[in-house]
Amino acid sequence: MSNSPFVTPAKTTRGLGASKTGTSHHIRQRVSALALIVLVPWFLFSIMSAALGGYADALAWVGSPLNATLLVLTAGAAFYHMRLGMQAVIEDYIGKTGTRAALLILNTFFAAGLFVAVVMSVIRVWAG
Amino acid sequence: MVQLTLPQNSKVQKGKTWPKPQGAKNLREFRIYRYSPEEKGNPRWDTYWVDMDKAGTMILDVLFYIKNTIDPTLAFRRSCREGVCGSCAMNIAGRNTIACTKGFDELPGGVISISPLPHLPVIRDLIPDLTNFYAQHAYVQPFLKTDSPTPEKEWRQSEEDRAQLDGLYECILCASCSTSCPSYWWNGDKYLGPAALLQAYRWLIDSRDEATGERLDDLEDPFKLYRCHTIMNCAQVCPKGLNPAQAIAKIKHMMVERVS
Repeated sequence: MSNSPFVTPAKTTRGLGASKTGTSHHIRQRVSALALIVLVPWFLFSIMSAALGGYADALAWVGSPLNATLLVLTAGAAFYHMRLGMQAVIEDYIGKTGTRAALLILNTFFAAGLFVAVVMSVIRVWAG
Repeated sequence: MVQLTLPQNSKVQKGKTWPKPQGAKNLREFRIYRYSPEEKGNPRWDTYWVDMDKAGTMILDVLFYIKNTIDPTLAFRRSCREGVCGSCAMNIAGRNTIACTKGFDELPGGVISISPLPHLPVIRDLIPDLTNFYAQHAYVQPFLKTDSPTPEKEWRQSEEDRAQLDGLYECILCASCSTSCPSYWWNGDKYLGPAALLQAYRWLIDSRDEATGERLDDLEDPFKLYRCHTIMNCAQVCPKGLNPAQAIAKIKHMMVERVS
């Protein structure tokens, strides 16, 4: 938007208009948080007991269908929640439109990349 | 990038120390933000010594004492001097509030600093530019909107529905809440801020208003509404004891309700 002193406050406030978005972001952030309330304690408790037994035990842990399912769900919810949260932080602090857009895209790619890495790791264990 | 430090020409420098009133026994030190557009140079902190036995009981009384007996050039807004008009909102001892209802006995010990509401352009001394703040209030269309034929006498409302407006209608638009909100500091041009959103909710929840959907349409935006991260500074500082953060949460709830 223009910074000219001739631009009226009403023009600044109305801006480009309300985008009619944001509610789904709000809902998704809360739903993913709810999922994480259950998944994170399970993950921490479960991974600690598995990791104590060394590499073979860890492989066996991921090899269990229940553990693998919950692990992928945990990663999905956590990285998705992280992406939504980082989006809010970027929108809060980065004012320049171009920089903000670039960071928002990178944020999505980064979260998606982490999730795919977890899925691929689980597949690798399962494929032997 | 968000501006975390003041621009060079807004950095506040050490100012003048005004003489102590003669014969005073109960002195208190006040540091007050001074800025005049006619004078060249940065804003400054001036030091005043106030005779608390003669100054009255409220911070607004201190400002009057200074203006009347020490420095007549000190500029500040005031009108009702009883917490109704919201004109004398400023930052007192690090907290936004209105000077007329802030008593000495509520203040911490030591030097008391008084500055204009934060993160707004300063017109002079303790007077900030509130034009954008008022435009945000106008944006939420703070008046009854109806399409039904106007009743002969008045739009009626049940006692329960009227009670929904308690805690909302009391807002005096002093801007203490909006200017205490970090989200408003960083995105004050796009985020409507707690004061405007509290007023928006006041009309959203009014049983007589028929424009609820349109009102929600005008608010549904990542910046206009969803910049609120429930930091709660607004509720902490409101001199009328209102809770804008709760009103904003209720607007978000209405947004969710209409899509689910």
